[in-house]
Amino acid sequence: MPTLTFPLSRIEGHAQVTIDVQNGRPVSARFQAMEFRGFEYLVQGVPAEQMPVIVPRICGVCSTAHHVAAVRALEDAFGLTPPPLAQTIRELLMLGQIVQNQATSLFIFTMPDRLGVSSIFQADSAAADADQGIASRALRVRRAGTSLISLAGGQFIHPIKAIVGGVTSGIAPEAAEVVRGEVEAALGLACELFDIYWEMSLALRDRIGTWGDDEPACYIAATGEDAPRYTDDTIRVMCPDGCCHEAFPARDFRKHLDFVESEYSYADATSYRGQVIRANSLARANMTQAMGTPLADGYLERFRQAFGRPAHGLLLFDLARGIELVYALERALEIMAGPLSGEDTAIPYTPRDGDGYGMVEAPRGPLIHHYRIENQKIVQAEFVIPTVHNMLAIERALRVVAARYITGESINMELERAVGRVVRAFDPCIACATH
Amino acid sequence: MPEEAVRFAVLQLSGCAGCEVSLLNAEEWIERYRLMYMPLVVSAYDVPPVDILLVSGGVRTDEDLYNLRRAIPRAKQVVAVGTCAISGGVASLGDRDEVRQLFLTQPERRHVPRMLPKCHPIDAFVEVGRYLPGCPPTPELFMAALLDPADFKASKIVCQECGRRKVRDLRPEHLVGLRQGEVLPDICLINQGYFCVGSSTRGGCRAPCPRGGHPCVGCRGPSDVLIDKGSTEWLASIQRVFQSLTDVPAAEIEQAARSPQMALFLFQFSDYAGVDRPPRPKEKVL
Ligand code: SF4
Ligand code: SF4
Repeated sequence: MPTLTFPLSRIEGHAQVTIDVQNGRPVSARFQAMEFRGFEYLVQGVPAEQMPVIVPRICGVCSTAHHVAAVRALEDAFGLTPPPLAQTIRELLMLGQIVQNQATSLFIFTMPDRLGVSSIFQADSAAADADQGIASRALRVRRAGTSLISLAGGQFIHPIKAIVGGVTSGIAPEAAEVVRGEVEAALGLACELFDIYWEMSLALRDRIGTWGDDEPACYIAATGEDAPRYTDDTIRVMCPDGCCHEAFPARDFRKHLDFVESEYSYADATSYRGQVIRANSLARANMTQAMGTPLADGYLERFRQAFGRPAHGLLLFDLARGIELVYALERALEIMAGPLSGEDTAIPYTPRDGDGYGMVEAPRGPLIHHYRIENQKIVQAEFVIPTVHNMLAIERALRVVAARYITGESINMELERAVGRVVRAFDPCIACATH
Repeated sequence: MPEEAVRFAVLQLSGCAGCEVSLLNAEEWIERYRLMYMPLVVSAYDVPPVDILLVSGGVRTDEDLYNLRRAIPRAKQVVAVGTCAISGGVASLGDRDEVRQLFLTQPERRHVPRMLPKCHPIDAFVEVGRYLPGCPPTPELFMAALLDPADFKASKIVCQECGRRKVRDLRPEHLVGLRQGEVLPDICLINQGYFCVGSSTRGGCRAPCPRGGHPCVGCRGPSDVLIDKGSTEWLASIQRVFQSLTDVPAAEIEQAARSPQMALFLFQFSDYAGVDRPPRPKEKVL
């Protein structure tokens, strides 16, 4: 039985897709995560309070999400509520993560698929005059996210400012002012680039004849119902027709989600009552009432008019990412218009033993850290990773493209590109998924 | 871009991609260099001949080792980037008996790269021309490594880049650390009872952590004075600093210095070089 292997690039980490073909028909499609470091083991015996420094190293792309989830897990274990200003600064930090990630995914990972180039850094020489400067504009938008992370998180990749009980300090008005200017400029550029991206996506749809014709799925997210919030305590699940919802707290995740280990991948997979689930941007766009900022709401309305609610096409994950990019920049500007210093940013605390659950909505979906603490040391750690929620959905979508492009007589050369597009729509993060 | 622009590639082994993300923030290279290979952002299947090869991540699997060995002959210069490539990094926390036991309980998997018994620094297998420490190195440091490293001016230690004042009238008796809530601005973190190792850590990062109110955990590794020495000398130097600024008992300092988040970074040039090999020469470290 021949096996087609597709190494993957323009995603975070080492992964490949393999498709087995028998008698001219695809019989299986696997998404394989190829790396493993074993963080759940590495952190055994580590002093619990060092987790916010150690766990961001699970992933340099999602480090902010891990940093905040770690702090929240410890606060849950120690019974603490950080002061309001700390919560605001953490929100700004998470918004920086959304900006950086969505700009990277849209413009660096997936735009080359729409331009037909192997990297955005070649785009400007390949594309028409009107597209000149895409790479440098894209990097400026991305950079605004990095600046927000540095401002609110102290460090630009593995942040340090969120601490158990709050954040180390407030943000001085002068520092905020500099970044505000950068974010404002980035908002204009982001809208320009997103409009181009939307047009390119329409052209792609026309060329391949679909937005992604996989079946509908359940959606899972930990953002608010009326507007996105990235540090909520409740996970919600939306059924495929969009009508029923279920909500549960992070600590109950095992009661609601089923985990399967894979024998051909270093990443597990989750399902919800035997059904395939999808996390990430499209889940959030489907589940929120509105974005709550003017430009992003404009885009969301356009999106809903075109694709309905819930929307299911795979390439719509990418468009939903653009809406979030605009939202996160707008919301960051709102926050920076208010005071970010002058109040308490952290409360003193006494550590105690027990279990702690910390959740954030990371760019790829709900992320949960669970720690069991004895004698102030970690004796058990679980990292529930958003990419893992998408594993079954990725493989199901891969089977659909395999069936579409492999026919009895031939394999359409479009298959390789389609595999890349499917995987990138989910923006999987392999370092996180395997941890 | 000039035709003769420097050609470089980025080989990512087992790491967190933070080093790559940092490089993406160093936008200056885009106009001047030709990025030939970096799977995170470029679809290309193999490392072509290049002037500079940046290697991030440690050697954790047989595939890492294979990719490393294949890429090296195609590069004129090899730079080990970040703690993982230099010492194994955070994965070295697994280099303990009880953790090895846990790894052995992993289910049997097929068709995936096989794990090596531990995570190795890349120079355990190949010759390295330059070391760029940091977790991750800042964009500025990346640019310095790619351009002319001799031109790069950094302070000797993080303290000189931090800007917090050391004071005489604040002598903590214990390492209370983050448990005390908000951090005072402008005053040295050691005076406030934090275990900050900026005084023995090499400069060049511009001290983002202590500036942001969090003690430096030493991700850049020891300063030039200590770099080729073992952990014992480093521990003695830390004790001296804390004796002069605090009344914290020596045993408490010792315990903090030996904690996992310090072990990740501090001895990356000496202890992790391996017992049978000399420490890495400091001339090669940026
Ligand atoms: S050195 Fe640090 S930033 Fe670089 S790959 Fe390793 S953990 Fe990530
Ligand atoms: S201040 Fe210390 S921990 Fe922070 S980046 Fe510099 S060397 Fe690394």
